[in-house]
Amino acid sequence: MLSPFEIKLLKSLEVGKEYPISEAARVSELSKDAVLKAAYLLEQKGFCKVKEIVTKRYTLTNEGLQYLKDGLPEERLIELLKKKNNLSEIEKEMGKKELGIALGWLRKKNVIKLSDGKVELIKDVDFKEKDALNLISKGSFDIPKDILKNLIKRKLVEEEEEKEIIIKVLKKPDVELREVITDLTPEILLNRDWKDKEFLKYDIKIPSKDVFTAKVHPYERIIRECRKIFLEMGFVEIKGNYVQTSFWNFDALFQPQDHPARDMQDTFYLNKYVELDEKLVKKVKETHENGWITGSTGWGGKWDINKAKQLVLRTHTTAITIHYLAKNPNPPVKAFCIDRVYRREAIDATHLPEFDQLEGVVLDKDVGFKHLLGLLKEFFLKMGFEDVRFRPGYFPYTEPSVEPEVYVEDLGWVELGGAGVFRKEVVEPFGIKGKVLAWGLGIGRLAMLRLGMKDLRRLYLPDIGWLREFPAIKR
Amino acid sequence: MPVVTLHWGELERMVGKSRDEILSKLPMLGCDIERIGDEHIDVEFFPNRPDLYSVEGVARALRGFLDIELGYKHYEVKEADWKIFVDESVLDVRPRIVGCVVRNLKIDDEVIRSLMEVQEDLHWTIGRNRRKMAIGVHDLSKINFPLCYKGVDKNFSFIPLDFDEVMTIEEIFKKHPKGKEYGFILEGKDRFPMIVDSKNEAISFPPIINAEKTRVTENTTDLFIDVTGFDENVDKALNIISTMLADRGGRLECVEIHYPSRVTKTPNLKAKEMEIEKNEVYSLLGFKLNDDEIKRALERMRFGVEVNDKIKVKIPPYRADIMHEWDIIEDIAIGYGYDRIEPEYPATNTIGSTHPWNEIRDLVKEIMIGLGFMEVITFTLTNERVQYEYLRRKAEGYTKLMHPLTTDHTIVRTDILPKLLELLSYNKHHIMPQKIFEVGDVVVNDVNKLRVAACITHSKANFNEIRSVVQAFMRELDLTWDVVESEDDAFIDGRRADIIVDEKKIGVFGEVHPEVLENFELTMPVVAFEIDLTETFDSGELL
Repeated sequence: MLSPFEIKLLKSLEVGKEYPISEAARVSELSKDAVLKAAYLLEQKGFCKVKEIVTKRYTLTNEGLQYLKDGLPEERLIELLKKKNNLSEIEKEMGKKELGIALGWLRKKNVIKLSDGKVELIKDVDFKEKDALNLISKGSFDIPKDILKNLIKRKLVEEEEEKEIIIKVLKKPDVELREVITDLTPEILLNRDWKDKEFLKYDIKIPSKDVFTAKVHPYERIIRECRKIFLEMGFVEIKGNYVQTSFWNFDALFQPQDHPARDMQDTFYLNKYVELDEKLVKKVKETHENGWITGSTGWGGKWDINKAKQLVLRTHTTAITIHYLAKNPNPPVKAFCIDRVYRREAIDATHLPEFDQLEGVVLDKDVGFKHLLGLLKEFFLKMGFEDVRFRPGYFPYTEPSVEPEVYVEDLGWVELGGAGVFRKEVVEPFGIKGKVLAWGLGIGRLAMLRLGMKDLRRLYLPDIGWLREFPAIKR
Repeated sequence: MPVVTLHWGELERMVGKSRDEILSKLPMLGCDIERIGDEHIDVEFFPNRPDLYSVEGVARALRGFLDIELGYKHYEVKEADWKIFVDESVLDVRPRIVGCVVRNLKIDDEVIRSLMEVQEDLHWTIGRNRRKMAIGVHDLSKINFPLCYKGVDKNFSFIPLDFDEVMTIEEIFKKHPKGKEYGFILEGKDRFPMIVDSKNEAISFPPIINAEKTRVTENTTDLFIDVTGFDENVDKALNIISTMLADRGGRLECVEIHYPSRVTKTPNLKAKEMEIEKNEVYSLLGFKLNDDEIKRALERMRFGVEVNDKIKVKIPPYRADIMHEWDIIEDIAIGYGYDRIEPEYPATNTIGSTHPWNEIRDLVKEIMIGLGFMEVITFTLTNERVQYEYLRRKAEGYTKLMHPLTTDHTIVRTDILPKLLELLSYNKHHIMPQKIFEVGDVVVNDVNKLRVAACITHSKANFNEIRSVVQAFMRELDLTWDVVESEDDAFIDGRRADIIVDEKKIGVFGEVHPEVLENFELTMPVVAFEIDLTETFDSGELL
């Protein structure tokens, strides 16, 4: 494919003829630069030959110019000799310097003979040098080399070298040379100029400048996928505050008040306390102390309402789930929550003080542990984990408890979250009617598996370069 | 959760199976295997099963689980004349004590190591770091019974374990490593619990340290164990230790505890009994098992079982976790095998719905991405310096952590913009322009608010550019809005605007002040906006 410049140049030059670049520019009506560029491209494609030739130019020096006007010294001497032969008189006429030049030159050529201060002309002479000067002054350099050499030596003529680029078209393309379109412009469209023209074909393999996609964070994409699964399965999305009472975060879930998980070692407490609903609190208190009517022994000891009043940054979304179930105690209920939780943990590649947790609950009358396993299996299958297995687990607020594991290529069985049936000590104080199947997992763990990440810190302190490079779908 | 080190030789000998068979079944009993080594295996057992914190306990459970020895294991406690008198003076300090004598033990390194490990794990879990319960193990031959458990003052002195000089209680708190470590439990008391023998010589200062004189050595054959504390946790711990030592071949003898008003005998290794309706089992598990299956499952978990109309269960005395019949039903499921349960998707029929909060988030994301901004997410934990000082703003309505772990994370963010500027400061080396946004939660006066913030940075970022974005954003939200001159010092005076909807300020935008940029070590102009979405949208129920 030829560019418009190449076509224009090819069209305007004759095959076989050599064009200096200026001539080619004139004929093709292109700039010298354009001609040069097009010519080299055409040469690569075998359509023309570009060569550089060196020509010599000659110009008369000031002395040369003067001699052209006044005649060469030897010429003048001959003329004078034709009138007189007394040297001292001639010297007066010509000046000592020129006389010297003329005498030297004529003697060398054996044209004159000197004796007793007299000059004798021996033979006739023609002055080819004069003719040469004449020709040079007219721009013609068709002069015998020895004469030119002589003139240069006598500093009457100067030699200059001039380089010139010559273009010779070797052949023209077989097809008709038509003008091609580079940029498609509104004018071309308006005039429909594209109709009988071709488009310049670009080298499609050359990469263009990078541009970057504005897009959803890859981690948010996973959250979106999880939400979609829950919604497809008919779950209601719920949401709660990051700041919760210890009551909802711990006590409502039957976590004993001296449980290690409640230590300030693991939980971010706030130095704030809020009032609690007395009616709700009473049943929870009794359940903790003696089991109330749940059939449990309870934890024994005294349950302290002041501990329940203290605010915390929630350590799990289960604080929200139980609150929601307390407000919606009648089956059937299916609810889920994907949101931020906090643990008082030092930051490293796999531990963060805040992360997102996914949690789902089903409240119904005729459901049991095997239905929980069914839910987990379906959920993980939708997440793309085909092999799921179940091991016994332990969580203070579920019984039975289970730790699901999924099979991941190259990693083997990987524990992914926890699940269980809410204990009676958890549901009965709130009048929740039926059994609650619950499961949850950290999205970070999922992200590590799905995004192939080794460092969770990346998610929350993103490197813009990483985000730009990270594909919308990771295969 | 405690990680228990189980030595293969010991474990294989006690269980009577090879390590491969043990390894294949162990996870299904309920534990996380942390490390499998040639010499030993490190296993994390759950905090509800302190009876598995020793190799003896694990072997006992595995022998059931592997069908080697099924059902309830009876432990004999011989009557004897060991007595502890509890003095009134200790009742308001650390009121409970139980004890047990174990005879005819072959004490070797293995036993001592196992005892020390289980003691440590029980102290941490049931004992809540010795606060609720502490165990002392003594050489019986060094003690002159009867014992007295009483309160003493700080000048009481004896030779504590690992020392060779007499120390007062006060000195133990100051000088003895255990005194320094656990002294906090007795802080503020003027009487201290002490077990002394008939010669009034101390044998133990619970929950801090034993006396040197009762040290257990390789020559010890008979042990006395004391457990002190406040409630039935002392019995749980004693039962776990005494049954474990009985499994080692020890003969148990009971100790009489004489309280001022009553007498008890410990350890009490009689089984507790519980009756469970079969329907409750079917209902909780979601499927029916036949009577034999139930019996077999429970026997594998070392319960005594009779299945008639109801399920009659004898609970082993070392099981500290059985609070409710559901705890036993879980054991039926484990004994039956989780891997044998056929999962079934529940028929529960409900209609799904999204939360308005996240609907708004999604909408905002669509608009911002359409405007060419890349989504980022940042931590909500931050500090006053970044949130307010750097932004030249006044700190208001923020949630402060009581015990922050680092100076970087001391509060919960009330604004997103500072987090975005912080993020830009880490990304200066990347190609400009950079356009980022985050839509997410902030916490103001302990309540979540939904915010969107966005930043544009490049060498020519200016007010016009961000105003165009705000115009487009507000147009997409179909909001009638107005601007007034802002007083937000995070932005340049005369190039900052408050966004007003319904006469209320919902956001701000403008050119970020050079001093703010300097604080974040940013060297390119930044323009930004932040808008509170909870002000103009119904964002749904927040629990």
